[in-house]
Amino acid sequence: MAVQCSHAAVSCTMASRKTNSRLMERWLNGGARKICLKVDDLQSLQRLAGQAQAAGLVTHLVKDAGHTEVEPGTITVLGIGPAPRRSIDALTSQLKPY
Amino acid sequence: MGIRSIIHKMTAPSHNGESPSGPVKLVLIINNGLKMGKGKIAAQAGHASVQATLKAGEKSPLALQAWLSSGQKKICLKGDDADHLLVLEKQAKEAGLLTSKIHDAGHTQIPSGSLTVLAIGPCQDELVEKITENLKLL
Repeated sequence: MAVQCSHAAVSCTMASRKTNSRLMERWLNGGARKICLKVDDLQSLQRLAGQAQAAGLVTHLVKDAGHTEVEPGTITVLGIGPAPRRSIDALTSQLKPY
Repeated sequence: MGIRSIIHKMTAPSHNGESPSGPVKLVLIINNGLKMGKGKIAAQAGHASVQATLKAGEKSPLALQAWLSSGQKKICLKGDDADHLLVLEKQAKEAGLLTSKIHDAGHTQIPSGSLTVLAIGPCQDELVEKITENLKLL
């Protein structure tokens, strides 16, 4: 699980390095804040991904290669950001901490 | 070194660092003595991964490239406590591997400044396995 979140963290970092390096710099200098939340199922993840993309945020869906615990191709984690706290909270305020 | 120059080094063609000759992975060793919740562990592992990625971009871009293009293999292992993590860090450094330590700011579950995760790599599987072979999976 921690591994899947790390995949998302690294992929989001690499993606925002290209699209928004100023924001990424701010995020890294501010301690690279990360929050883990939970959703019930795949549909919720995909819906959130769509909403985040519509809001212009960097997103990354982690698809596991399935070497270990889950079936190959299972979508395990959605990474959103780094982005301003307000933009993300607008999407995720209803979710519970993991 | 500023983050911009690190980014530059990650993207610019580079001549330093050796190209890894086998599979490459990143090992995350979690301080299991702290009794962190699973979301907390996931966030700390994320910190360690991002920091290890940036460090590798600066110091061994070829290994980083190999790792990113082969699916960013990551393994989470358990360490007993902070001292255990420091011993492993020393061994990894002596073997010439990249390491990143994460100290928590202590906003949430644990005392401020606790050593939460040690990352080793990304580097060739067999190099890091010599150091971590006795550790259990998280």
